Amino acid sequence: MTHPTDTGVRRRASDRPPALADLLGEATVLEITEQAWTALVGEDEVLVPLPAPLPAVTRSSWVEIVGPWTGTVVLTCGADTAVELTGALLREHAPAVLEDEDVDDALGELANVVGGNVKAVLPGPSVLGLPEVGTTPPAGREANTCRVAVLWRGQPLTVSVQSPAV
Amino acid sequence: MKILVADDSRVMRQIVIRTLRQAGYDDHDIVEAEDGRDAYDKVRSENPDLVLSDWNMPNMTGLECLEALRGSGSAVPFGFVTSEGSAEMRQKAADAGALFLIAKPFTEETFRENLEGVLA
Repeated sequence: MTHPTDTGVRRRASDRPPALADLLGEATVLEITEQAWTALVGEDEVLVPLPAPLPAVTRSSWVEIVGPWTGTVVLTCGADTAVELTGALLREHAPAVLEDEDVDDALGELANVVGGNVKAVLPGPSVLGLPEVGTTPPAGREANTCRVAVLWRGQPLTVSVQSPAV
Repeated sequence: MKILVADDSRVMRQIVIRTLRQAGYDDHDIVEAEDGRDAYDKVRSENPDLVLSDWNMPNMTGLECLEALRGSGSAVPFGFVTSEGSAEMRQKAADAGALFLIAKPFTEETFRENLEGVLA
């Protein structure tokens, strides 16, 4: 009786990180983003799920999730849209001229709220990082990215749940 | 009465304060803290009637702040306002002595439901 060659590798299916597509769909990401918008930006603030090209100058914010699934939740919009969003969040408390720090804070907090709710639907236990702002972090494989493109006040905005680039 | 709002995001502190006002708590004094360490210090110096704190903050998290407060003998009513509302975190919050955990995004109704009875 012959036996298969033992390669010495011990691997179970559960050792592999779960595929994002099995955990999360675009509809869920859109719903989470819409809830964040309605509650934080304003009750009448509608997100229209229509893809449109982002402008040349963009601003991104993101939070990292580390756990059975590890990756980032990234919010990206045009630089002008980021300023408009900050004004909408601060409402009557918005200063006449918004500082970069305010815009980073506002965009970071939106990513934080969306990211926290994305984390809640992913398998745990996992840890949510603090929000970061800057150039959009590179994404991993397309198959491990869930991306939602919407229009807010006619301006394009994307939310990506993405595995890290390897 | 005095409410201490702790969040490392100034924008989120403004949103929490605005939601408090919308929920009808517009005659309370508000004190702001920008992280858990600042919140801990301001509980000692300002003696608030309630702390509404974010969880995930630099320097000292909201949970570490609550644990430090309870460890030092403070019984100040404490609730979390955080972007994470998993059952595990709610349990951790309750175990540490938090009265409630409000998950972001929230509405004025959520605030009313959780603060009723705390801010009579």
